[in-house]
Amino acid sequence: MGPMGMRPGIILLREGTDTSQVSSRHCHFHYFVDGRLDYHFNNLPKRFSLTSITIAFDFNIHSTSTQGKAQLISNINACQAVADAVRTTLGPRGMDKLVADGRRVTISNDGATIMRLLEIEHPAAKTLVDISMSQDAEVGDGTTSVVLLAVEILKQMKPFIEEGVHPQIIIRNIRLASGLAVQKVRDLAISFDIHTPEGEDMLLKTASTALNSKLISSHQDLFAPMIVDAVKSLSADGGADGLDDLRGMIGIKKIPGGDVRQSFLVKGVAFKKTFSYAGFEQMTKKFANPKILLLNVELELKNEKENAEVRIEDPEQYQSIVDAEWQVIYDKLDSCVACGANIVLSKLPIGDLATQYFADRGLFCAGRVEDGDLKRVAKATGATIQTSTNGLFVGVLGTCADFEETRVGDERFNIFTGCPNSLTSTMVLRGGSEQFIAESERSIHDALMVVKRSLKSRSVVAGGGAVELEVAKHLREHALRIEGKGQLIVNAFARALEIVPRQLCDNAGFDSNDILSALRRKHTQDEDGKWYGVDIENGGILDTFAAGIWEPSDNKSFSLASAAEAAGVILSIDETVINPRSQDPGAATGMMGGGGGMGGQKPLSNMMGGAMDAVNAQQGGSRSGNLGNGVSYLKGRGGG
Amino acid sequence: MAQSMAYNQAAGIGGMLKKGHKAMEGLEGATLRNVEACHEISTITRTSLGPNGMNKLVVNHLGKIIVTSDCATIVKSLEIEHPAAKMLQLAAEAQDFECGDGTNLVVSFAGELLMQTVDLFRMGLHPSDVVVGYTKAGDKMLKEFLPPLAELVKPMTNGREKEELLRVIRPVLAAKYLGSEDILAPLVAEACLGTMKSSTGPASFSVESVRVAKILGGDISQSLVVQGFVALRGLETTLTSAEDAKIVVFGCGIEASATEAKGTVLMKNADDLKNYNKSEEKKMEEIIKSIADSGVKVCVSGGTVSEMAMHFIERYGMLCLKIGSKWELRRLCVATGATALVRLGAPTPDEMGHCDHVHQKEVGGRPVTIFSQSEGSKTSKLATIVLRASTSSVLADLERAIDDGVHAARTACKDGKLVPGAGATEMELSLKVRAFADTCPGLDQYAIRAFGKALEVVPRTLAENAGLDQSVVVAALGAAHASGKLSAGVDIDAMGITGASGVSDETGVLDLYHTKASAFKLAIDAALTVLRVDQIIMSKQAGGGAGMM
Repeated sequence: MGPMGMRPGIILLREGTDTSQVSSRHCHFHYFVDGRLDYHFNNLPKRFSLTSITIAFDFNIHSTSTQGKAQLISNINACQAVADAVRTTLGPRGMDKLVADGRRVTISNDGATIMRLLEIEHPAAKTLVDISMSQDAEVGDGTTSVVLLAVEILKQMKPFIEEGVHPQIIIRNIRLASGLAVQKVRDLAISFDIHTPEGEDMLLKTASTALNSKLISSHQDLFAPMIVDAVKSLSADGGADGLDDLRGMIGIKKIPGGDVRQSFLVKGVAFKKTFSYAGFEQMTKKFANPKILLLNVELELKNEKENAEVRIEDPEQYQSIVDAEWQVIYDKLDSCVACGANIVLSKLPIGDLATQYFADRGLFCAGRVEDGDLKRVAKATGATIQTSTNGLFVGVLGTCADFEETRVGDERFNIFTGCPNSLTSTMVLRGGSEQFIAESERSIHDALMVVKRSLKSRSVVAGGGAVELEVAKHLREHALRIEGKGQLIVNAFARALEIVPRQLCDNAGFDSNDILSALRRKHTQDEDGKWYGVDIENGGILDTFAAGIWEPSDNKSFSLASAAEAAGVILSIDETVINPRSQDPGAATGMMGGGGGMGGQKPLSNMMGGAMDAVNAQQGGSRSGNLGNGVSYLKGRGGG
Repeated sequence: MAQSMAYNQAAGIGGMLKKGHKAMEGLEGATLRNVEACHEISTITRTSLGPNGMNKLVVNHLGKIIVTSDCATIVKSLEIEHPAAKMLQLAAEAQDFECGDGTNLVVSFAGELLMQTVDLFRMGLHPSDVVVGYTKAGDKMLKEFLPPLAELVKPMTNGREKEELLRVIRPVLAAKYLGSEDILAPLVAEACLGTMKSSTGPASFSVESVRVAKILGGDISQSLVVQGFVALRGLETTLTSAEDAKIVVFGCGIEASATEAKGTVLMKNADDLKNYNKSEEKKMEEIIKSIADSGVKVCVSGGTVSEMAMHFIERYGMLCLKIGSKWELRRLCVATGATALVRLGAPTPDEMGHCDHVHQKEVGGRPVTIFSQSEGSKTSKLATIVLRASTSSVLADLERAIDDGVHAARTACKDGKLVPGAGATEMELSLKVRAFADTCPGLDQYAIRAFGKALEVVPRTLAENAGLDQSVVVAALGAAHASGKLSAGVDIDAMGITGASGVSDETGVLDLYHTKASAFKLAIDAALTVLRVDQIIMSKQAGGGAGMM
């Protein structure tokens, strides 16, 4: 019981609810202390003294002018902590992160991958995961820079929030600035025609630029042409139509072992030799213009249906049943052979009986082919996958120029080349460790997406921070024409864009202040200085366009737009309400612990228990507050 | 607790009720507490009023994150337990149901009405005096003061004109997600126009028939309208497009029917065994063939499609789409005019749907299937707005904004009367109600005046949320109205510009008369209900007092 002998109270919100419209937690109900209400108080029993009433009304009354400011700052701090986690991965000299989730170890410097694995719990910071993911889906690359950019915008806006500028003014001007920036990127972009040799070169360079910041950057001379070839083969006329199903059409096979340089591209379909039965050795392993049959049928002697049962009355019949079962499978095999196929592939197992049968008749077969591989074969060869062996006809068969089972490194591969619909291709990646190949695959995927983007938009801008600086310069010039606070905010937005070159320098170990000032000067003074960016090799500045560091312009415009959008979302939140989880009784009981001593009416401010601490914890920059429980964090050289 | 109980027992009521109840009465015990609780709710939502309103981040009990400035959504997800505050929530939900918009007005205005009573009680007024005064003022306002304001603005006459619809939709969208209105309002208008039933008679459409499909990635400007249906998954078949297609929709899966009870097939001899599989295959082929023969090009299934069925669907050159959700399936039926079959077999011509173009497309890294109807198609009864944005919270908020916009368009088609927005209506009413107060002889005069003052909450909050000096703006606005500029409202564009007055004679912002009137009425009702309570009795909660403090 509270000291004041409070009445049992009525709770405003469900217990455990945490509202953190952080502002004044004190009572502003001074009317009660003076004035005419005293009269009423005097008529009350003593127990309801003035103090008890004021405590009863000790809700979280918000003074209007400061509403939500602390909430905003706390959200910005949380986001900054998240950005710090991916900051060092940016650029060619970026470091990788190792994330262990108990089961698997992932080594990556792909922003989207890291953001996904971080399991961020802070509700506002989750927005950053969203933009990183959508950048990944939309463009494929630039997932780190979009997060950095969003957070840097927030960081630049923080002083304004602290000074009491209304968040809506800031949001409005961020929108204005991002609109201008995206327009400027479009104006700056240089378009190309991919049918010319210059166009080819352009694609090659965008692929190299994308690979530059990845684990396999030293092998870009090998991978960049492979990637460009793979993407270009997607559409027959170099148009943008066939590019949509990139993930399905370009297979990436990871074969641990061997050397990275042994990776290769197959214009067609390739997959690792499947598990095979006796008789496989006798098969023909090489065909020219074979007919290919794709099945989703199990070619093995087995029970046809789970729920079928044979009951015989006469032991004589037993043999006939056995014969019938054999007959069923022989019928299937016969029809496969009869339709004229040379190669039989099946998603389901092909048993030793069938293997032997096909081998005797000069056919090649492979069972347990992966679904994706089988679909790619279907696409490439024009075959349709059959779920039944009845009614096979020539129309369902596919063909290709060459089929061969051959040894690559220490693995055997089934390779189909010269397919009539030459849209698919397969990249076979080799490398030392599993993690290494996994990261190579992610890098290659990013590069594939970048090339696809360039093919679609057919325009590029220079990387290395050049385009950011040029846009920043444009915004600064424009800002001078804006009246009022907007000028400062657009300026701050321009400053935020500089995070990209700045971080590139920091990661490479250069003095970012020196280089940035040199770059700003170059961009302002020289007419043709618009493509100057960070020289990551020598630590100075150089014309990155001339140096062939090119990125698709869509990449930049998407990341600018979504970073600004995310910053707007985070700035527009002035209150966080966290309801207790329905299956989490701990949240409610935790709140209840001290309830007895609080008396009846529980002020909202007191309800900011555990969850609030998590929010407040970030103000000190502690990162653990953003991550799930049990996530430990080690960074830097001494970390391990 | 025992001590305070003892007091209650002495007063009588405690002795009558089961132990563990809570009872509060009188002005301080009940009324003021209720007022305070309601005020608390309205303070939370107030900062979300208007185009410059701030968002709230709500993590609901399932851990889902909602970022919104939509008042109905906020109060719904707040899990309000206080019985009086719940009244406000219910009023907001009623408004949401009725008009789809103006929910924040309900909560803010009701909260402000109640807040004003604190001063009145301090002056010594009895709650019943306040109730009488508020009732009088409310009646007078809704019957006499509000209707003439609708004559200030040209009403929306023809719901079939895009421009006319835009006039209504634009302010609603701007209030929910500022900056989106120029892109989304035309889309919403197009979608509404596309689903309007017949070309003659008064314009009308069903809110249900405008759908939103959210796809993460890109930005708002990439959003588009499809006259038809958009399924957020790809086709199952290798064929991915069809024109002028007949469509069959199965509520069930496309697979061989299996018995619910455990059954075993008994085979007597070798022939049975050989034919068993073949017969099943044959049956499926017959079914699919009969479907194909009826002219169907697209099969849609609400359940699984067996591999055998898929094999024959491919064989007969049809498209196949799986839709897991029953709602989605129903919407597709509406969009194409198909009847969902619950039994596998060929459809009759009546049961078939029709769609002009069916194709698969990749949007934002995921395949979607688009069923679109050509212009002037008879069967186009559904429109889908494909929304793009790079964060899921923005997507969800835009969806709510579109919902409100569609509701507004629907309401406008019923009753096209408009009133000036941006706080102009409230300011005008406030002045009129206060003038009316001066003519009243009794104690209720104070309550009526307070009512008038409470109306100021709208322009005040709009100014405040726009980062303007609220007192200056409200004063200037009052002066403008007193000098006969009845449409003067808060100029939120003045934000951040030094020396701007924050008042514009003609803001061009319009609100629906119907929405406004309904919001006022619900707010007044909620406030009066709260004020009429003078005693709260809560029984002990069942379940071992987990909810007790």
